[in-house]
Amino acid sequence: MTDHISTETAAAAAKPDLVLSYLLARRPDLTSIEEDLDLIENRIIDSLSFVNFLYVLEEATGEPISLDEVSPEDFRTLRRIRERFLGGRPAA
Amino acid sequence: MTETLPNPAASNAAGLADTLAGDPRFKEILDRLVAMSERDYYDPYRLFQWPEQVVEDAYWMSPELMTVHGTAVGDRLEEAQLRALSKWESVNFYSLNVHGIRELLTEIVARIHQPGYALTSEYFHHIIGEENEHMWFFATFCLKYAGKIYPDRSLAFAGPGIPEADTFLVFSRLLIFEELVDVFNQKMGNDERLDPTIRKINAVHHQDESRHIAFGRQIVALLHAELRRTLTVPQLAELEAYLKRYLRSSAESLCNPAAFRDAGIAEPYAARRETLADPAFEEFVARVLKRSTSFLAAEQVLSDERIPAL
Repeated sequence: MTDHISTETAAAAAKPDLVLSYLLARRPDLTSIEEDLDLIENRIIDSLSFVNFLYVLEEATGEPISLDEVSPEDFRTLRRIRERFLGGRPAA
Repeated sequence: MTETLPNPAASNAAGLADTLAGDPRFKEILDRLVAMSERDYYDPYRLFQWPEQVVEDAYWMSPELMTVHGTAVGDRLEEAQLRALSKWESVNFYSLNVHGIRELLTEIVARIHQPGYALTSEYFHHIIGEENEHMWFFATFCLKYAGKIYPDRSLAFAGPGIPEADTFLVFSRLLIFEELVDVFNQKMGNDERLDPTIRKINAVHHQDESRHIAFGRQIVALLHAELRRTLTVPQLAELEAYLKRYLRSSAESLCNPAAFRDAGIAEPYAARRETLADPAFEEFVARVLKRSTSFLAAEQVLSDERIPAL
């Protein structure tokens, strides 16, 4: 049981990097993304790229995300994404 | 201050009506499309036989239209896996149709018999009726033979922020969606490798969509001609960039990790990433979007036919 948890914890710690790396790769003009930067206002996430981001997030969390249970606000900042989908783990 | 500004809805409606009435051929085409819809009317609820099952161990879509065609991911799959993936990619394709038709119906219903749409409302009645039926037979196929419709994965955020272009963008998106789907319908409707039920839903859809596409091309061309007269060059460039991204995102939506997962392919998200990064997928994107990009370039909506990655 302990082994199981520690393995999961190690994997979880690496997963938020996947999200940040993806967003930074989309925006080569940025070297970092602040936790509270508005990702939608700054066009880091938009309608047309959203599904690709959703798949990155699903891969990071290990489970499909139902859009019936989320709103655009859940994707507005890295902090909100971390709280909503990554169990509060840092996204950077 | 606010109340002294003109009502944008009213001025847009008047401008729209003028734009659509400005080309007498548009009215002639609409009359012809209405006559064709009436002439070709059929009852979809009686047209399809819906056998208990379609042949499971066979291609459900033309292999050349699968997103992995010619890619390293596709090359690594056994024949049985490719056939399984063809089933789930076809279900994804029909699911995208269901969701795309929902958007289309929502937009057309919001406009029928509203100011600015006097000329087009008669044909809108036919589009609404026909699209409702298309949605029914695509949904029926998915539910009967796959037990599900893949969920819509789109979420709406703000668009380009050029209000004068909103109507143009709505009809452009609908046209791009219909043209892309029709590339698949046209090929699969005549592909002898596919089950007769699969061929039939594709062939029937192709027949109706050819009319909707004719309408879409006319209205998109008219609306963009007006925007070329009224918008700035940077605004037109922004519309072009948005539509290129929309084209790309439409093609990428055909590659769904859920379809990989249902086909038993390990690490479906990695498989999708690898597929999208494969040079063969670039060729796929150019091929399935060729009709749209050629038309949009000919109408000066696009300055070239290149569709860059998102």
